[in-house]
Amino acid sequence: MMEISSLPISASHRSKLLSAGYTTLSSLSAVSPLQLSRDLNVALQEAVDILKVSSESCRVEVQDGDVEFCKGAQTAWDMLSEEQALRHISTGSGDLDSIFGGGIHCKEVTEIGGVPGIGKTQLGIQLAINVQIPYDFGGLGGKAIYIDTEGSFMAERAYQIAEASIWDTFDNFGCQPKEIPEKLKPESFLANIFYFRICSYTEQIALINYLEQFLVEHKDVKIVIIDSVTFHFRQDFDDLAIRTRVLGGMSLKLMNLAKKFSLSVVLMNQVTTKFTEGSFHLTLALGDSWSHSCTNRVILYWNGNDRHAYLDKSPYLRPASVHFSVTGKGIRDATSQCKRVRMM
Amino acid sequence: MASIPPKPENPLHLHTTKLTLGCPILDSFLGGGIPCGSITELVGESSAGKTQLCLQLLLSSLLPPSLGGLSSPSLYIYSEPPFPLRRLLRLSLPSLPPCPLDHVFVRLSTHPDDLLSLLSHLPDSLPVRLIVIDSIAALFRSEFDNTPRDLKSRSSLFFKISTKLKDRARKLGAAVVVTNHVVDVVEAECGGARCLWSSGRRVVPALGLAWSHCVNTRVFLTRSEGMSRSSNGEECEVRTRRMHVVFSPCLPERSCEFAIVGHGVLGVG
Repeated sequence: MMEISSLPISASHRSKLLSAGYTTLSSLSAVSPLQLSRDLNVALQEAVDILKVSSESCRVEVQDGDVEFCKGAQTAWDMLSEEQALRHISTGSGDLDSIFGGGIHCKEVTEIGGVPGIGKTQLGIQLAINVQIPYDFGGLGGKAIYIDTEGSFMAERAYQIAEASIWDTFDNFGCQPKEIPEKLKPESFLANIFYFRICSYTEQIALINYLEQFLVEHKDVKIVIIDSVTFHFRQDFDDLAIRTRVLGGMSLKLMNLAKKFSLSVVLMNQVTTKFTEGSFHLTLALGDSWSHSCTNRVILYWNGNDRHAYLDKSPYLRPASVHFSVTGKGIRDATSQCKRVRMM
Repeated sequence: MASIPPKPENPLHLHTTKLTLGCPILDSFLGGGIPCGSITELVGESSAGKTQLCLQLLLSSLLPPSLGGLSSPSLYIYSEPPFPLRRLLRLSLPSLPPCPLDHVFVRLSTHPDDLLSLLSHLPDSLPVRLIVIDSIAALFRSEFDNTPRDLKSRSSLFFKISTKLKDRARKLGAAVVVTNHVVDVVEAECGGARCLWSSGRRVVPALGLAWSHCVNTRVFLTRSEGMSRSSNGEECEVRTRRMHVVFSPCLPERSCEFAIVGHGVLGVG
């Protein structure tokens, strides 16, 4: 694993990085140039240069890791460094990224649940766009598969989110709008989403069985979003044992795909009310055995008029709750001045 | 049996057609109109204007695409007789084809199973691109008890009806509009849904959380009464009607004022 001390940058930058707490390359992978320039008290352009150097070093490291992997020998140490070199997919909100541990992780299955209107579809579209942010701009430069079971995906909304995401990314790197390359237009971001509309649970199962073949042909896909995994499983299942088995098989396949193709799987889930200990409370749909089928679980909920996200399950992160908002540009941090007026 | 692998679509070619509401202010409020290909719910207390808006849509669907219509007949499924024929006759939109009522199909349905079989037997050849169900709540009013078993079969029916409607919406590029009632909120808890206010009552949409997962767009119609001083200094009662986007895949939460007049529903801008 590469340390800051071996980065080809000036000695003063190196000491500034170390004293600001950036000791490893991975600690630089999720930081924006603006943030870095503030933390180091250097000019924005200097921060951009540091990040450019570090991302190039990161890439070299990934290639080295691949060679190791091909030999079939991989120690836990290799796995750790490979994982740290992996980029995460940003949700568009730094606060929301933080409860996921820096963004949505590849090789993992993440489940996101919440009431209608809380922003599950918005987050899904945002991730399908943000996964495409080029590597040089802190993204993964990947493509997305969007599996729509509810009919809520709207291309015009995806276009708005793509436009805002491109602008914000360039803005963060201090680039002028005229420097935006032709291929980074909202149109090409939309065209890089493979959209599947699913109308029954049999279609859903058939598609998930076919995904492996599709992914072999499209290795640049870095995220699979199913919005929602639940809809078609809430009817026609009188025998819950069969449903549990079908869902179990599906989640196993998705976990394997996430690992094999080093991509992120995001499953949107609905919520339902459950009666326990004399009162009703909200819980995610599909039952208790389903809750074992994802690596991470985040619940989106209303707190008054504010949207919050709660990390309910994670193998290594603490349960935490953050405030986020859905804006015209997409998912963003909640700021106090954009507090919504209570509906009368 | 070899199956054909599913083919992805390119979002660049997914264009959502919008059905005009027959009023430019309301159209721009809803981002062009009622989206085709998904389910839009109009929810509100009685006499909030749900049926009025539905009847207007039955006519606007007949308009040519150049005027925001679908050039298509419409189907009105009602569960609360009588059918408001007189009101429909009084509504008018400019540029309607001759004998517009020839192109409005009307059907009574008072039971969820009946609705399901009706939707299953709609021939694909019937070129209806607007389906209105007024109201979904009345279908479920009396059939079910508040037992876990009944609630489960009720929500299973919700998802079946919703799947049938979405299927139809997708295949024919049809707009689907359903109306829903409200229920008063008695406790502080509203079960995840946020409360809304209408006529000074705190209400939530009927049919609970399961149904709200079945619709794509939810529009809430409210009214409120208040006193206002008119130009000649007299106090008079005014009724304000508002339309709110509660959730939608492509619109922010927002609201706009509207009025119901002799010839239809109009936005107030």
